[in-house]
Amino acid sequence: MTTSESRKETVRAFPAEWQGRWSVAHARIDQAGYGDLVASAYRSAGPIVATRSGPAEAIRLGESVSLAAIRAGRRAACLLIDAALHAAEAARHPSELGSWLELIDDIARRAPKVLSAFLQNGSQVLDILGFAGLAVFARMGLDLGRDDARRLAFFALQSPEARQLLERQHPSASLPELLPGLKPYLRALWGISPPIAETPGDAPEAMRRRAGFGGGGIRLPPSYAGVPASDQKQLHRATLAHIGAHHCFTRKKLPAKGLKPLQLALVSLIEDARVERLAMREMPGLFALWRGFHVARPEGVPVAITLMARLARALLDPSYEDPHGWVSKGRALFEEAAAADIGSQQLSRHIGGLLGNDIGQMRLQFDARSYVVQPAYRDDGMGLWDFGDDNPEVPYEMQAPAEGARLEQRDGDDGRTEPDPIPDVSSGRAAMVEAGEDVAIARYPEFDYVTGRERPDWCTVHEPAVPMASPAALHRAIEQRADLANRLTAIIRSSKVSRQQRVRRQAEGEFLDMDAAIEAVIARRSGQMPEDRLYGRYERRHRDLAVLVLIDASASTGERVSGRSETVLETERLSVAMLAKAMTELGDPFALAAFSSNTRDNIGYQRIKDFAGHYDTAAEGRLAGLQSHNSTRLGAVIRHAGKDLKRQLSYRRLLLIITDGEPHDIDVDDRRYLVEDARTAVHGLRNDGIDVFSIVLDSDAESYAPRIFRRRNCVQLKSIETLPEKLPGLLLRLAM
Amino acid sequence: MTNLDAYRIAKEPFYRSVGGEVGLFEAAYRSRMPVMLKGPTGCGKTRFVEHMAWRLGRPLITVSCHEDMTASDLVGRYLLDAEGTVWHDGPLTLAVRQGAICYLDEIVEARQDTTVVIHSLTDDRRILPLEKKNEVVKAHPDFQVVISYNPGYQSVLKDLKESTKQRFAAIPFDYPEAAGEAEIVMREAGADKRTAETLVRIGARSRNLKGRGLDEGASTRMLVNAALLVAAGVPIMEACQVALVIPITDDDDLRDALTGAIAACV
Repeated sequence: MTTSESRKETVRAFPAEWQGRWSVAHARIDQAGYGDLVASAYRSAGPIVATRSGPAEAIRLGESVSLAAIRAGRRAACLLIDAALHAAEAARHPSELGSWLELIDDIARRAPKVLSAFLQNGSQVLDILGFAGLAVFARMGLDLGRDDARRLAFFALQSPEARQLLERQHPSASLPELLPGLKPYLRALWGISPPIAETPGDAPEAMRRRAGFGGGGIRLPPSYAGVPASDQKQLHRATLAHIGAHHCFTRKKLPAKGLKPLQLALVSLIEDARVERLAMREMPGLFALWRGFHVARPEGVPVAITLMARLARALLDPSYEDPHGWVSKGRALFEEAAAADIGSQQLSRHIGGLLGNDIGQMRLQFDARSYVVQPAYRDDGMGLWDFGDDNPEVPYEMQAPAEGARLEQRDGDDGRTEPDPIPDVSSGRAAMVEAGEDVAIARYPEFDYVTGRERPDWCTVHEPAVPMASPAALHRAIEQRADLANRLTAIIRSSKVSRQQRVRRQAEGEFLDMDAAIEAVIARRSGQMPEDRLYGRYERRHRDLAVLVLIDASASTGERVSGRSETVLETERLSVAMLAKAMTELGDPFALAAFSSNTRDNIGYQRIKDFAGHYDTAAEGRLAGLQSHNSTRLGAVIRHAGKDLKRQLSYRRLLLIITDGEPHDIDVDDRRYLVEDARTAVHGLRNDGIDVFSIVLDSDAESYAPRIFRRRNCVQLKSIETLPEKLPGLLLRLAM
Repeated sequence: MTNLDAYRIAKEPFYRSVGGEVGLFEAAYRSRMPVMLKGPTGCGKTRFVEHMAWRLGRPLITVSCHEDMTASDLVGRYLLDAEGTVWHDGPLTLAVRQGAICYLDEIVEARQDTTVVIHSLTDDRRILPLEKKNEVVKAHPDFQVVISYNPGYQSVLKDLKESTKQRFAAIPFDYPEAAGEAEIVMREAGADKRTAETLVRIGARSRNLKGRGLDEGASTRMLVNAALLVAAGVPIMEACQVALVIPITDDDDLRDALTGAIAACV
C-alpha cells in the first residue's frame, strides 16, 4: 500500500472529527518505543477496525495495544492487532469488539504470561464459540488457579478442560446430551446394553477421533471434529449400529500376532464390511444410515488411505463405481467369498492379507501412525484384535469403558457396600478406607454468573474415608439433652407428609361414597339393615419423606462457639446425632454426609450414613470422627447430594444443609461467584422436585443465604448453641 | 332366562396355533378345568379364547377386570325398578347358569377380595353362592372359567393370591416367532409379505427395549395396526409412528431411539 493510498484509506475510515484523535493515538504508539513492527501494524489496522467497528474502537485498540506491549511484550502486542482485525470482522456490533478488548485488557493485567497463547488461539476459539463463549473460555482459563503452566496449557488448547469446552460447543450435540437417546437405540437394534463412556480428554489423539470397543464396553468420542452439530447424532448412531454389528457377528477376536499395521487395517476394513453386510440383511435401513458417511470418490491421487476409503465404500454401496484395479479386485474377492460363506471370519483375514500384498507391490506408502479409519462412524478396529497379553496398547484400550462402568456403579448410593456394622471401630475403618479411598467419584459443572454459562465438568468430587472416633462423648452429650431428643421424636412423628389417599365407607367424611349409598338404599328397600358408613374422605396416611443432611466441616467450624467450650462442629454433630436418632426410631429413610473443599479439583464428600445403611455404631463413629478442615464450595456438594436424593422414591425429598458461613474456596477471589453457583445448584434440585433447606450459623448470613436458598428456605441462627433446640421446630416446618 | 345367542361366535376367528395350545385347551375343557392364559399384552390371548369358544361351540362371556370392580359386578345385584327391587344376574352368574365360558381378562387388575368369588367355582364344588339372594347356583356342566394374566406389569402390589393361582392350569403365550408373526400380520391386515416382514423386524427391535425404558415391546396387535395403516396408504415410517412409537412411550429419548431403530429396519 503506498502512502497516498493509505492516507485515502484513513480519510475514509475516520470522519473529520476523529482524524485528530486517530493521529494522536497512533503517534502515541509510534513514539512509545514498542518497535516498528507494532507501530506499523497498528497504523494499518486502525482504519480497517474503524471501518468495521467504528473509529472509537480503533482508538480504544491503541490503548489495549499499549497495555499488552507493556505487560506482555511486543510479540503479544503484534498478535493482539492481528486478533483484533479478526474480531472486528466477526463482530456484529461495535460493542462486541469493545467487550472483546476489555477481555484482553483483563488478561493482560491478571495473567500477562498467557496473553500471547490466548491471542494465538483466540481467533479459532472465537470462530467456534462466539464472543460470549470466548469470554467463558477466558474466564475459565484465568480461574484455573495461579499456576501459569496450567493456564498456558489451557490457552494453548492443550488441556482437557479447554478441549472439552470446545468440543461441547453445541450443547444439543454433546455426547452427554445425546447418550440418553443413544443407549436405547443400541439396545433396540442389537439387544445389548454395554456401558458407553465418553473418551476421556487426556486420551491419545487417535483414540479421541474414533469410537472403540473392548473390555465389555464402548467408548465414543465427545464429538466428531468437522461434523456439523445437526449430523452428530446420526454419526453416533451409525457408530453404535456398526459396533453392535461387531458384537453380533465378530464372534471371536482375530489373532494379531505377526500382522503388520497395514494388514491389520485391511483385515479390519474387510471385517467391517462383512459385519455390515450381515447387519443389513436384518435391517436394510442401516444402508441409508451408513452410506451417508461414505464420501470417498474415484478420483484424486491413489495413495493407500484414499484407496482404502474407496474400497470401504465399494464394499458397502453396490451402485458405487470405481475404475481402480485394486478396488475392483477387492470388491470381486469379497463378493465371491461373501456368496460362498459370509458367516466366516476367515474371509476377512484371507482377503485382507491378499490386498495387503497388492498394496506392497504397488509400492504405496502406509503410515500407521497417522492412519485414521474411514469413514468416521467406524470404530478404530482395536476391539477386533487379540494382541496377546504383553501389548501395552490393549490395556489402555480396555481401560476407558471399564472405567466408565466402574464410575457408574460407584457414584450411586444404592450400589455401595456399607462396612459391616461391627462395633469394632478399627475393622470398620479398614472397610471404609477400602470403599472410600480418595477416588474421584464424579465431576460436576459450575455456574459462572458473569457469563451466565456453566463450565462443564469443572468440579471434581472425592469421597474420602471418614476417620472413625469413639462415639462415647457424643452419647454422653445426648444423654444430657434427653428431654430435647424426646421432643424431637414426638415432633417428627406428628408431621405427616404423604400422598393423599381416598378412603371409602367411612362413618363421616367429605364426600358421599356412591356405591355405599346405593347399597344402603337397596338394603333399606329390601327390608334389610342398611350400612351407615356412607362417606369417603381424602387422607394422608403414611409419612413418606427422605432427608439428606449435609454437614459443613470446613475449617471455620473448628472455631469455638462464643462463650462456650464446644466448637461449631461439635454443636453440629450433637444436633445431627439427635436428629438421626429420632429419624431412625421413625423409620424414615435418611442419609448423613459432611463436606469440605480444597479448590475445585478436590471437593470432599464424606458419607457418614447412606440411605441404604443403618445408623449404627459405625455411622456414629464416623460422625464422631469428623474434623474441620478446608473450605466451603457448596454448589458441587449440593449437586452430588441431589444425585443420591433423586434415587429415593419418597414423595417428599429434602436436602438439609447445615453450614456456618458463606461459600468460599481458596481458588476463587470473586465472593459472588460461589454464591451464584450454589444458587443455581439449588434451583436445579428444586426442578427435580427436591426441596433444599439450610440452617446458617452465621450472623452475616443475610447477605448471601436468602440469595442461595430463597428467604423462606433458610434459617439463620445467630447463637449457635441454640441449634439442638431449634432443629426440631425447624424440621417440623420443613416437613409440613 | 336371558338368551346367550349373542355370546355365541358364529364365524371362525383367525387363530394361528404356535404350539400345542389348542390341544391343551381342549384337554382341559374335557374336565372343565379352569385355565389361565399367561403372556404379554397383544400376543393373542383373547383371540385364542374366542377361537376355542368357537371350536367348542360354547358361548363366551368376557369380563374386563378393573380396580374398582366389586364382587357384585361379577355375581349380580339387586336393582330398583318400578316394581321394587329386582335381582340381576352378573356376567359370571349368567355363564354359570347357562354353561358359557367365562373369560376374566386381566384378572390381576381386580382387587383380591373380588377374585375370591370364583374360588367355589374353580374347585370340585362348582357352585356359586349368591349371598344376598340366599341362593346357591350349581354350575352348568359346560361352564368353564378362563382367566388371562400378564406377568409383565404385575408388581408386588398386584399379584394373584396363591390360593387363586393354584386352581388353574396355565398355558404360556408369547409373541410368535418371526415367520409366524409375519403370517399373522399379513392375514389380519391384508399386508404384503415385505411390509409384514419389515414390521415384524421392527417389533423385534422394540422388544429389545422391554425393561429398558419400555414396559412392553410392540405387541403383535400393534404391528397389525401399523400394517392396517400401511394398507390404507400411509407411508410405513409414519404408520409406525402413529401405531407404535407414540402410543408406547412418552419419553422423548426413547421415541427418538425407536424411530431410529425403525428407520434401520425399513
